[in-house]
Amino acid sequence: MAEKPIVGERKAFMTGNEVTAWAALAAGADIMYGYPITPQTEIMQYWARMAPKFGKTFLQTEDEISAGFATVGGVLAGKRAFTATAGPGNTLMQEAMSMAEMMRIPTVMIVCQRGGPSTATVIYSQQEVTMTCFGGNGEGFRIVYSPSGHQDVFDYTIKAFNTAWKYRFPTFVLSDGYQAKMRESLTIYDPEIRGIKMVPTEAYVGKPGTPGVDREPSLFRNTYNMEEELYEVLMNIKQEYDRVAPEIVEYKEMYTEDAEIVVVAHGVVSRAVEGAVTALREKGIKVGFFRPITLRPFPGQQLKELAGRVKQLLVVESALGQLDKLVKQEIYGVTTPIANYFRPGEGITVEEVIEQVHKLV
Amino acid sequence: MRKIQPKSEPVIEGYVGEYASGKSENAVNRALSLVKQGRKVTLADLDIVEPFYTLRPIKSELESLGLNVLAWETKDTFGLGEAGTLLRPEIRWVLKRDGDIILDIGYGVEGAKTLNLLEGVKDNPYLKIIAVINISRPLTHTVDDIVEYVASLGRVDALLNNTHLGEETTVQVIQEGAKVVSEAAKRLGLEMICTSAEERFKPELGDKDIMGNPIKYLRRFMPQTFW
Repeated sequence: MAEKPIVGERKAFMTGNEVTAWAALAAGADIMYGYPITPQTEIMQYWARMAPKFGKTFLQTEDEISAGFATVGGVLAGKRAFTATAGPGNTLMQEAMSMAEMMRIPTVMIVCQRGGPSTATVIYSQQEVTMTCFGGNGEGFRIVYSPSGHQDVFDYTIKAFNTAWKYRFPTFVLSDGYQAKMRESLTIYDPEIRGIKMVPTEAYVGKPGTPGVDREPSLFRNTYNMEEELYEVLMNIKQEYDRVAPEIVEYKEMYTEDAEIVVVAHGVVSRAVEGAVTALREKGIKVGFFRPITLRPFPGQQLKELAGRVKQLLVVESALGQLDKLVKQEIYGVTTPIANYFRPGEGITVEEVIEQVHKLV
Repeated sequence: MRKIQPKSEPVIEGYVGEYASGKSENAVNRALSLVKQGRKVTLADLDIVEPFYTLRPIKSELESLGLNVLAWETKDTFGLGEAGTLLRPEIRWVLKRDGDIILDIGYGVEGAKTLNLLEGVKDNPYLKIIAVINISRPLTHTVDDIVEYVASLGRVDALLNNTHLGEETTVQVIQEGAKVVSEAAKRLGLEMICTSAEERFKPELGDKDIMGNPIKYLRRFMPQTFW
């Protein structure tokens, strides 16, 4: 058996899908369940190719419904299990993810967003924000990280396993087709040398001893007979979610101290915005940038405070207002005007963002 | 009596390698360098896994530079999307063409198998299969990794060092690649064909890498493509 997948740290040049597979290996993931779909398929291919060298396993299921539930099952058995999908596959996995929400199952799922609705394109979009944050018949008790490039994909895939197992909420890395397929350099590392300790996993079911005699019985339910019973369970989950949310929330801001206009973007689009804001600052335009890294829980308090003291917000995304909806919900009460630049299923460049900001100056 | 002109030997090369190893970039640049020498060159895109995302976006630009490009065009593939895993009929017979032929063979191990679909691949005396290696890619990082990887590809006749780290590339990164890939070629008993690098390194690197292999400089075309 080979030793650790990554010894120490080093620079590497890869596609985002390979980065995800390496990150999962570095995080000590035990098993991936999956079903092929562009632009996610190479995560499976690379995992299936490398995992056996490190004693890890892979199961290709018959479809995404199965892959989602098998991931839940793997976690119940105490495995650091994950899956990855995109677009219509994400839709099919929502039923299993709702179950994970209700039963507090720490599944990890990587989403490589593609154009929608339905099959649409296999290339790129940011149209799976609403579904990944609030999909299924649930209340959005989930944690969703939105990476902006390969280093983020590596860092946050490792982090997703720890967040999931520490807080016991289903956790998502919401990447996209561009990040899946593009190539760039990054530093890959053994988490241990960065002081990252992987949160140990444990089996939910099949524990030793007689339930009720040697230990508390394990009871995991997603079915309730009475309204009151369900209400009580849900409110307990909500309370717990609200309690841990401030510890989980992450965001990035730039040039916001004296900004008059703030551009809000997430994921790969935030890189175009960062480029645009940097260029506009060089010309003396007072523009800043705010990027939620966690879309669930959302850094609402931080954005609300910022939005309250600027003259104008601009929301930029490759969807028809899915981030915009989150922003508006979180900053309700602030009267600062909000402009938008929506390109559903299309990439956004630095030049386009500059042009949009100029319209507001 | 008509005198038979002795034909010069054609250059027939196929580029294989890991996904994102740089095989398309090297294939395109090699084809264009042959065009510059006044030769007749055909560039064929053999990627049948994702045939609609590779050379397609730059096809007309390459044709305007004098290359004959065999690849799908958007209008031919409307409605097929990623489902169309088709080999163009003319590509199947490409080895029967006159002149130089450069094959951009689809990615990875599965891509290399596509080569077997070409007519005459087994008995073409000029065909040389070149594996493009970037040691910054974890699966081809060490001599052992490369030896294991190349063995999985089927037929390979030569190695090419295309080590880089994108925008973070340095001369040291390229030279380290030259050492490791040359050593792997030696172990595999294969020809070490050259090192390739972006044009911006020319003043520092010169004509030969640290191992004495020729350096070929690349003009970047692939950033304009999808994947």
